[in-house]
Amino acid sequence: MALLKDPPSGVEIDMNKISSNLSEWIVDVTGAAGTNYEGETFQLQFKFGPRYPFDSPQVLFIGSNIPVHPHVYSNGHICLSILTDDWSPALSVQSVCLSIVSMLSSCKEKKRPPDNAFYVKTCSKNPKKTRWWYHGKF
Amino acid sequence: MASAASPGDEGGASGGGSDKAEPGTSADNSSTGAFECNICLDTAKDAVVSMCGHLFCWPCLHQWLETRPNRQLCPVCKAGISKDKVIPLYGRGSTNQQDPRDKIPPRPQGQRSEPETNTNFPGFGFADAGFQMSFGIGAFPFGFFASTFTNGNNLNTGRPPAPAPGTPQFQEDQFLNKIFLWVAMLFIFWLLIA
Repeated sequence: MALLKDPPSGVEIDMNKISSNLSEWIVDVTGAAGTNYEGETFQLQFKFGPRYPFDSPQVLFIGSNIPVHPHVYSNGHICLSILTDDWSPALSVQSVCLSIVSMLSSCKEKKRPPDNAFYVKTCSKNPKKTRWWYHGKF
Repeated sequence: MASAASPGDEGGASGGGSDKAEPGTSADNSSTGAFECNICLDTAKDAVVSMCGHLFCWPCLHQWLETRPNRQLCPVCKAGISKDKVIPLYGRGSTNQQDPRDKIPPRPQGQRSEPETNTNFPGFGFADAGFQMSFGIGAFPFGFFASTFTNGNNLNTGRPPAPAPGTPQFQEDQFLNKIFLWVAMLFIFWLLIA
């Protein structure tokens, strides 16, 4: 957790101290320049469980602006393998944010996932309970 | 958890020396950062290093390996990793620090390989053993068949003649014949299985 103190916040991450009782973080992420999401700001919510470094945090987009992206559902759930199956305890908040920004940046066409309507209706509140099928290179 | 402490440090140094505080923390980072566990981000305790060169506390790494026993990957580079492919690091004087960890198995032992000595004997001995083995297996069944065949047809003049039917010797002979036949069948069966 200490990795996100202040210095190494890399590209576009800044911590809002609002809801940080250390088990729930909100991180502001800005779309990278030169991509479809340039200038847009999104809010990511991190929830850390008791088994945190060994179990992945629950990460989803919240707020009014949820990116339109083939791997992001309109309820904020993100289809990203490192958030479940490929999680590693060496990943930090910073690296997760970087992965998400990178995922946004590589998007060619802004559109929702094909099964968005069905998924949003049927899914659990916790995206980690979804059995994700990873197709892309992420 | 260290992040909870850091705001306090900054608050203490906020009297106008905030510029000074930053170099101090970065110097701390650079001196300890090289030996931080990649999982708990503290200085590694009971340090082990993977074959891919990544440093962990043994308790941390063990817990991670237990989390996904069927898919053991290095947390940093996702190389294959396992308990016996991890090397413990012993610093000077670190052997005195023993804290009993009940659940966690002890760190894997360091492996010390003997320096190589050039003697030609081992290779020669192996070849010899292999030769004897194959010879024994090949020769035994044939000898056995030959002897039973000749005995059954009474063509062998060099041996004592077969005992007359009805005598106890004849029965013994038959009994022995059966035993040997069974042994031979068992042996062939074993050969087929093996």
